[in-house]
Amino acid sequence: MFDKTFGVDSRFCDRITRRRMLRIGGTGVLGSLSLPGLLHLQATAATEQAAKAKACIFIMLEGGPSHIDMWDLKPEAPSEIRGPFKPISTVVPGTQIGEILPLCAKVVDKFTILRSHSHADNAHQTGRHWVMTGYPPNFPDGQARGVPFNELYPSLGSIVARELGERGSVPPYIEVPEPMGPGGPGFYGAKYAPFTINNDPAQPDFEVRDLNVPESVAEDRFARRRRLLERAEALGESAKATGKAKTMASYYEKAVDLVTSPEARKAFDVRGESAAVRERYGLTSIGQSALLARRLVEAGCRFIGISHGSWDTHTDNFASHEKALVPPTDRALSTLVSDLDERGMLDETLIVMMGEMGRTPRINKDAGRDHWSQCQTVILAGGGIKRGAVVGASDKTASIPVTQPYGVQDLLRTIFHLLGVDADKVYHTPLGRPVPIVNGGKRIDEVLA
Amino acid sequence: MFAAVLLSAPILAAGDSGASLRILPEAVQLTSPEASDQLVVLSAHDERPADLTRRAAFEAADPRIVAVSATGRVVPLADGRTTIAVRTQSAQAQIAVEVRGVALPPPVSFRRDITAVLSKAGCNAGGCHGKAEGQNGFKLSVFGYDPAFDHQAIVSQGRGRRVFPAAPDISLLLLKATGRVPHGGGQKIEPDSRWHRLVRRWIAEGMLLDAESGDAAVRIAVEPTEVRLAAHGEQQLRVVAFDAAGNARPVTAEADFRSNGDAIAGVSRDGLVKATEVPGEAAILVRYLGHVAVCRVVRPRESGDFPRPPERNFIDRLAWDKLVELRIAPSEMADDATFLRRAFLDTIGTLPTPDEARRFLSDTAPDKRRRLVAALLERPEFADYWAQQWSDLLQVDRDIVGSQATVAMTRWIREQIVANVPYDRFVRDVLTVQGSTLAESPAAFYQVQSDPQKLARSVSQLFLGVRIECAQCHHHPFERWDQKDYVALAGFFTTVERKPSFGGGVKIVDVEGKDLAHPRTGAIVPAAGLAAAPASFRSQTDRRRAFAEWATSADNPFFARTIVNRLWAHYFGRGLVEPVDDLRATNPASNEPLMQALVEHLVAVKFDLRAFTKTLLDSQLYQLDAAANDANRLDEQNYSHAVWKPLPAEVLLDAVSQVTGVSEEFNGWPRGYRAIQVWDNKLPSHFLDTFGRPTRQTVCACERGVEPSMAQALHLMNAEATVSKIQHRDGRAAELARSDLRPESVVEELYLASLSRYPSDADRQAMLEPFAVTAMSVEGRRAAIEDVMWTLLNTKEFVFNH
Repeated sequence: MFDKTFGVDSRFCDRITRRRMLRIGGTGVLGSLSLPGLLHLQATAATEQAAKAKACIFIMLEGGPSHIDMWDLKPEAPSEIRGPFKPISTVVPGTQIGEILPLCAKVVDKFTILRSHSHADNAHQTGRHWVMTGYPPNFPDGQARGVPFNELYPSLGSIVARELGERGSVPPYIEVPEPMGPGGPGFYGAKYAPFTINNDPAQPDFEVRDLNVPESVAEDRFARRRRLLERAEALGESAKATGKAKTMASYYEKAVDLVTSPEARKAFDVRGESAAVRERYGLTSIGQSALLARRLVEAGCRFIGISHGSWDTHTDNFASHEKALVPPTDRALSTLVSDLDERGMLDETLIVMMGEMGRTPRINKDAGRDHWSQCQTVILAGGGIKRGAVVGASDKTASIPVTQPYGVQDLLRTIFHLLGVDADKVYHTPLGRPVPIVNGGKRIDEVLA
Repeated sequence: MFAAVLLSAPILAAGDSGASLRILPEAVQLTSPEASDQLVVLSAHDERPADLTRRAAFEAADPRIVAVSATGRVVPLADGRTTIAVRTQSAQAQIAVEVRGVALPPPVSFRRDITAVLSKAGCNAGGCHGKAEGQNGFKLSVFGYDPAFDHQAIVSQGRGRRVFPAAPDISLLLLKATGRVPHGGGQKIEPDSRWHRLVRRWIAEGMLLDAESGDAAVRIAVEPTEVRLAAHGEQQLRVVAFDAAGNARPVTAEADFRSNGDAIAGVSRDGLVKATEVPGEAAILVRYLGHVAVCRVVRPRESGDFPRPPERNFIDRLAWDKLVELRIAPSEMADDATFLRRAFLDTIGTLPTPDEARRFLSDTAPDKRRRLVAALLERPEFADYWAQQWSDLLQVDRDIVGSQATVAMTRWIREQIVANVPYDRFVRDVLTVQGSTLAESPAAFYQVQSDPQKLARSVSQLFLGVRIECAQCHHHPFERWDQKDYVALAGFFTTVERKPSFGGGVKIVDVEGKDLAHPRTGAIVPAAGLAAAPASFRSQTDRRRAFAEWATSADNPFFARTIVNRLWAHYFGRGLVEPVDDLRATNPASNEPLMQALVEHLVAVKFDLRAFTKTLLDSQLYQLDAAANDANRLDEQNYSHAVWKPLPAEVLLDAVSQVTGVSEEFNGWPRGYRAIQVWDNKLPSHFLDTFGRPTRQTVCACERGVEPSMAQALHLMNAEATVSKIQHRDGRAAELARSDLRPESVVEELYLASLSRYPSDADRQAMLEPFAVTAMSVEGRRAAIEDVMWTLLNTKEFVFNH
C-alpha cells in the first residue's frame, strides 16, 4: 500500500505520474528574467515601502497534507475521524499538534498555525492553480496540459519577481526541485518565469542545469572562450544589434555573471554546507531544498517555490504520513525556521507551507483520506508573522472553520502585504483585460505580528 | 432636441500679424445643465494647423450664460445666447454660444448620460464593478454594454439601498462615488461636479430607465482626425456623438481616450494629446458608449530630409513615402552575405552551407538575389518549415488528436505548400473539410476546435484577424463587435458533428445546423459574417460552405489583410498591424496605403503566396541592412532598417546541428530528421522548450516565445548536448582538425558555416589566437577549433536573423 502511495510510480489521482511531471516539466524553464524586467524591478524596488519580508519561501505540499493528522488534531472525535495519532504539547503552552511532528513542536513559538483556511475547489490541478495564482483556472481539473499550466494568470512567484525584482547575484524567482504546475508567469511573459533548478539537491551529484561549464571544457578553455566571444561580438555584426538582440546581449552578461560569479555558484552549491548542517535539514528532497532556499535567500533571491509530494493519500494515509511524508517535512520546516532565526534572517523571510487542500476528516475504506478543501491548516512564519500563535479554529471534526474562514485571496493578500507588494495593482492581458494582482480578499490581520 | 443647425458662422479675425484662428466647434450649443463642450483653437494660416488651445485666452461676453475654463472647456450657467472671445498672442476670434435646458432640463437618460458617466468614471471597467463577479457585491455590465442590467443593479439590487430618491444626496451610489463614505475605488466623481449633479438629478427624477431608442448615439466623430506634431507638441481633441436623427452632441468630457503608441504620443483623460521626442506614428482611440473613432498622430523628425532611395517595386514607393514624411532615412542596402543568410532563414528556416555561401558570394550576376529567392521557394525545406508554422497556428496537437491524425494533417498541410495551393482555397479546404482525421486532410482542425463558440473565436482570429472572443461575454471594448456578432458567427459551425471513426480517429460530418440564441436576450440570431448580412444556405447542413465563401472572398475586408499582415510580420519582423492577428479600425496599420496596396497585390496574384513572397523579398525595403543610422535608430514601426529576429527554436536547433555537423537525436525518431520536420509537438526537448516552441494551445501567433531569456543564454553556453555536438568525433570540428587546412582556412570555414560570411581581417586575427598559443598538437588544434566554433555559436549574430 505504502509503495503505491509514495513509491516511484506514485501518482496524483489526476493520473499524472511524478515522473511525467518531471519530464513534461521541461517547459517550466521556458525562460528566466529579462533585463528590462530586472531593471524595471530594480527601479520599482525602491518603492518597496514598509515591507516586512524581503523574500518568501513557499513550500507546496502537493496532493494535500492531512491537517487533522498534523496540525489540527481532534482527539475527542470518533475513531473513524480522529485516526491513530495523538496530540502532543509544544513549547507554546496550550498549543498542541500531532505527535508525528515532534521537531516542529519545539519551534512552534516561532510561527503561526492558521487553522481556518478554506476554499471551494476540491481538485488538485484547479485547486493548486487557484491557490498559487489567486484565480480559478479556465480548464477543468485533470485537463491541464504541460507544466506550467497557468497559461493566463501569473503565479505568485512571478508576481513577486515582477514587483520586487532582483536583489543580489541570483534570479529573483527560483523553483526547486522541479517546476510547479501553476508556477509559470502566465500573461506576464517569459521575463517573469521562474528559474527552475530541475534537479533534486538531495542527490549526491546535484547540480543546476546549464549553470556549470561542462567538465569536458577545462576552466582555462572557458576563459579563452569568453575572451574570444567578447572579441567576436565587438568586431562582428553583433556590435550593431538593436531590439531583442540587444536584450539578449544583456542576458548573456547576466548568464556569464551567473556562471562565473562565485556568489551565485556558491549559493547553489548545497554541498558547500557542512555535513552537520545538511543533516540537520535532513538529507531528503524537501530538507535539502529548504537548505538551498535559505542559501538563495542569502544570495538575494526573492521567491523560492519548493514543491514536495505526493501527499495525495487516498490509501494508507497514516503510514504514508507517519513514515514517509511527515518526518522529512517536520525536520525541514523546523530546521529552516530555527536556522533563519539563528542567523537573524527570520524576521525578513516569510515562510508559507500549505497544500492545495486538506484531507477528509472521515477515514475511507482504504485507511485513506480524500480531498478536502473546506478546511486546511497553513503554516506561516517569519517576515512579519506572529510568533507562537494559533489563528482560527475548525469544528469538532476539523471539517469547517468555526471562526472567520480565510480563503485563497485573503492569504495571498496577506503574503503580498508582508512583501510590500500592492495587491490592488492592475496589469492588462494581451487582450486588454485588466487583472488585479489579487482579485478581492481581505488581509488576515490576525496573523500579523 | 439637439438642433444641427449652425447658429452662426465662426468669426475669423486677423490679428496684428495677419494670422487667423480656426475654432472648433463653429458654434457652441449646450442643451442641459450638465452638458459641456471642448473648444479647440487652431492656427489657420497654413495647411498644417498648430494647436493653440492651451495658449489661448477665453472670455464669455456674458459670464452669466457660460463659463469657459483656461483649457477651453465650456459649461452652461443659464439659458440664453452670448459669444466667447478667443485670443492668442497674434490673433483673435469669436464664436456664438446658445444655452438651453438649464431652467427646464430635459430628463436625464440612463442609457446615454448615466452609462457614459459610469464608463468615464471607471465604475464599470473590467477591473472594478465591470468584472464578471462584480466588486464587493455590486456588479455592472462591463463598459455599460447592458444598460438594463446596470439599471437593475443600481435601482433594485442591494435591497434598493444604492439610491434614495427622497434625498438623492445620501444615495449610496453618490456617497461611494464621491468618496464621502469609504470606497475601495476611491473618489471617482468630484463632489458637486457636473457628473455629481447629473446623477443626483437622475435619482431625483425617479431613476427612470429610458426606452431603447436611437437617442443615445449611433456614431461618434473626433476632431481633428489627423495631426502632425513636433517633439513634445500638443493637440486638444474634441468628440461629438450623433444620434439616429443626425444631431450632434459634444461628449469630449465623457469620451475615453487611449493611445496605441505611448512611446510616440500619449493622451490625457481630457483628450489632450502630447507627443514625446520619439518620431513615428500613433493612433488615439476614442470610445463613447460602445462607439469608437480614431485620431492619427504623426510625429516627424525635426530635420533630416534625405534623397529618396531607388525603388524596385510598389512596396518601396509606399515605404519611402512614409519615411520621407517622417524624415527618417532608411539604412543602407544589406550586403550579399547578410541577404543570403536572411533569405535562407526566413524562407526555409535553414542556414546556407559553406559551399552554398561561397557560390552565392562569388556569383556576379545582377539578378542573383531574385534567382536565389525563386530557388529557395522551390526547396523541400520551404514546405517543411511552412508546414510546421501552419501546424502551430492550426493547433495540430498530438495530445488532442493523436499521433496518426497529427501526421495526417501535417502531411496534408505540407502537400498544399508543395503544390502552392492558393491561400483562399487552402482556407476553404480547412473550413469545409469532412471525413476522418486519419485521412490526409485538415479534419483534425475540427477535433481541436470542438464547439461552435470555440470555432467562432479561433476562425475569426486565425483567418480574419478579429479577436471576437471579447464579445462572447460583452461588447468588444475597442470594436463594434458585440455578443450578437459572436453568436451569429458561431451559428455557422452548428452543423459540425464529430463521430468516432472506424479504425480510430474522429469523423467530421455535417448535420442539420441551427441559428443560436443571443446569450443575453435569448433572441435567435441568424448566422452571419462579421459586418455582413445574414447568410443564406442551400440547406441547413451547408453552413460551413456559406461561411467559407464569405470568409475567403476577395472582397472580404479581413481575409486578405490578415494573411498579408502575417507574412509581412514574418519577413519584416513586425506586422503592419501589431499584434498581427488583431485587426480593427482602432488599431490601424502603421502604413495604411502600403497595407492597401499589398492586399490588392495579393488579390491580383490570386492568393498565390509564393508569388506574393517573391514580391516582398524583391523589394529594396526587405533588403535593407539591420545596422541603424542616426535618423532611424529609434524607429521600430516603419521598416527603416531590418530588425534582429530571434531564430525560432526549431530553426536554431537545426542551425546548431548543421554548424557542428552532428544531427539531433530525437527520442524514438530515426537519426537525420531536422527539428523543422518534426510533426510531434510534444516531443521532449529541453532545447525547444527553452527557446520557446509553441504549445499549440491557442491560435494566437503570440504563442511562440520570442522573449530572450537568461535560460537561453545559459543553455547555449553550457548545455551538455550542445557541447557534446561541438566535440563529437564525427562532427565538423573534428573533421576540420583532421584536415590539412591552414588555421586561416579553418576559421574561414567556420565563419561561412555559422554566419554565412567570410571573416574580416580583424575577425580572422582574433580567432587565430587559440591556434597561436597552443603548441599545435592534434588535440590542441582540435580544442582551438572547438573553441572558435563555440564562440561563433554564442554570438548574437548567430542566434539572430538580421
